[in-house]
Amino acid sequence: MDKSSAVPVKSGIQHTRSAVRLPRRARRWHEYVLAMMFLAPSILLFGIFLFYPLIKSVYLSVHSTTPRGEVAKFIGLRNFEKLFDSGHFLNSLWVTFEFMLFTVPTSIVLALILAAICRTHLRGTKLFRFIFSLPLAISVSTGSVIWMVLFHPTLGTLNYLLQAAGLPAVQWLTDPNWALISISIMTVWMNLGFLFILLLGGMEGVPEDIYESAKMDGAGPMRTFVQLTLPLISPTIFFASVTSMIGAFQSFGQIHILTKGGPMNSTNVLVYNLYQDAFVNFRFGSGSAQALVLFVLILILTIIQFKFGEKKVHYQ
Amino acid sequence: MKFKPFWRRKWSLLGMSLFLFLAACSGGQSSQGSEPAAAAESEASSGPVKVVWWHSMSGELGKTVDSLVKQFNDSQKDVQVEAVYQGEYDEGLNKFKAAMGSGSGPTMMQTYEVGSRFMIDSQAVTPMQQFIDADKFDVSQLEENILSYYTFDNKLYSMPFNTSNPILYYNKDAFKAAGLDPENPPTTYADVEKAAKALTKDGQSGGSFPIYGWLMEQLLANQDVELLNNSNGRSGLATESMLNSDAAVNTLTWWKKMVDDGVMLNLGRKTDDTKKAFAAGQIAMTMDSTASLRGIVSSAEGKFEVGTAPIPKPSADYKGKGGVIVGGASLWIMNDKPEAEQQAAWKFIKFLTEPSTQAYWNVNTGYFPITKKAYDEDLIKENMKKYPQFETAVNQLHNTKIDPATQGAVMGIFPEARQLTETAMEEAINGSKSPKQALDDAAAQITQKLQDYNDSIAQ
Repeated sequence: MDKSSAVPVKSGIQHTRSAVRLPRRARRWHEYVLAMMFLAPSILLFGIFLFYPLIKSVYLSVHSTTPRGEVAKFIGLRNFEKLFDSGHFLNSLWVTFEFMLFTVPTSIVLALILAAICRTHLRGTKLFRFIFSLPLAISVSTGSVIWMVLFHPTLGTLNYLLQAAGLPAVQWLTDPNWALISISIMTVWMNLGFLFILLLGGMEGVPEDIYESAKMDGAGPMRTFVQLTLPLISPTIFFASVTSMIGAFQSFGQIHILTKGGPMNSTNVLVYNLYQDAFVNFRFGSGSAQALVLFVLILILTIIQFKFGEKKVHYQ
Repeated sequence: MKFKPFWRRKWSLLGMSLFLFLAACSGGQSSQGSEPAAAAESEASSGPVKVVWWHSMSGELGKTVDSLVKQFNDSQKDVQVEAVYQGEYDEGLNKFKAAMGSGSGPTMMQTYEVGSRFMIDSQAVTPMQQFIDADKFDVSQLEENILSYYTFDNKLYSMPFNTSNPILYYNKDAFKAAGLDPENPPTTYADVEKAAKALTKDGQSGGSFPIYGWLMEQLLANQDVELLNNSNGRSGLATESMLNSDAAVNTLTWWKKMVDDGVMLNLGRKTDDTKKAFAAGQIAMTMDSTASLRGIVSSAEGKFEVGTAPIPKPSADYKGKGGVIVGGASLWIMNDKPEAEQQAAWKFIKFLTEPSTQAYWNVNTGYFPITKKAYDEDLIKENMKKYPQFETAVNQLHNTKIDPATQGAVMGIFPEARQLTETAMEEAINGSKSPKQALDDAAAQITQKLQDYNDSIAQ
């Protein structure tokens, strides 16, 4: 279709170009319009769901709101000042940071190990690949409900196993020292499916002949993994670390279902605190201010990762 | 030539989807705009008036709601009620807030008791009193305690629907095994502590109370202690939280001590977790709403006998003082709906308050009837005979002395205050702060939020 229809158009342009200078601009304009038409759907969607809310957040963050959620008056940067004055928000920041620290490295290392094991083409590998990628098929809410049963303080499977092994029961979700760890365990499990597939895909992309020559040179499996596989899949690992970090910042479902930010705000991550403030207490001003802080934080962390992390990444 | 039908089809599809989109967006409004005219001109020919009811009754309760709606819809032709579950009370209220002013909200809404002040301040409701006065509806048949909760400035703003209060549930078999008298449940803090000590053995814990702000409110009302200044926010807008009163500190200290001594478990905030542990026989006592009665009794059936008792008081000196606050939820009619629709909702509300409806509701849920006459219904009489546990809640309600403390606190930020209370309870029970310190801090925060709220509605 392209060839046959393009020919008359092209000849038409050549014909007009020889006549006056203007049509060249017209052609550019034409291309521009065409490009815009192709971009329009995504611009429209981004506009409605990303840019408009972003602008609105900026607007709301400098206003106070009534209990009905309507804008009351302009208060400048008071919302931000209040946030950084309250220990509550700083606690949320700290919890978020801890949560990221608990989940991101653990998920990636575990997924790497599982992927490395499953790279081999032994019998039954396919079954394990299937099992390890299963968490991907489970939504956060379903996963949370499953873990709620496991974590149940008196009837939970985990405590049953602990007690069977002669260990004291753990108050997984109700002990402030444990709650964040429990949520992290659950989140690592949730992340594992996606990261496993991602990293396994990366490993499968490494050409077999590289391994063969390494083998001929006498490299053991450990050395092959550390010196060959890791550098070769570093772009994938880099991608995985950026996305899981952002994912960790945005975790909400499991916290909402399992702990609601408690006990003692020990799992009250930034996004949950924001949700509470904006959509439960209807202080959209404060909520928007927190959303913007979150936005800037993710932005900074992503830039840092690109600046320093990417240098270590080896693109083939 | 080949392209033309393709384009035409594409544009027509696009056009159609756009049309559908617009129609969907404006659907609520157009029907809202056209309905009053239609209703005013020819009420008889316009067919049944549709009433949308947002509620928060899930599980067994939701099924009972659906069957009540069906009974009502089948009983007459003028009004068709559509009940929509909108999630827990918090979520329902949030959805309502989001829908406010958009015309996409319900005609009628079930809101929990602590949302009352917000509903009034929202100015989105028609006070129930208007319908009561216009219809000369006799409110004297309703329970005084329940009415007193929802009466503000001598006006009934909403119609109580499901009301409950907390009771102490205990495992009679465990009491027997521990050498306690199963027919003589503990009534004071010291009694509860003693019983919990005796009951803790062989992997069974004496009990567990969920960390639920509502229970704290109830335990305070049971000592005739107010939670807020200005008579619990009923003689004027509350400006100060009194959560750090001596009574509250004592109560929290008692609670914490039992957990510290290992005779009570801390199972967190979820009442569901404590209920499950109780049904599994792992804890011998718990405090929960009467609305859970039906579920608890049936889940323990065949395993052990469930006993119920009024919630405890600090000591015998408090006998006859205070009482329980009417918990649960009430029904509100929205003022942004056409008159005919509001009247239709009122009709349905009248059906819900009928003795036979209330009897059915009580027997199937454990919420107690709001109508005194319901106790004359055979359904309730038989049920009380079979499950005498249902009587505890009713007696507790009738023994309550009505004053601001037992009418319950009123504030626009109640849901948030409850969260802050729960955090304070956790801090004390986990030992990160002393009970006094935790409650002082929470009271200060609530006071601050109260003042912010009052400022924002004054504008």
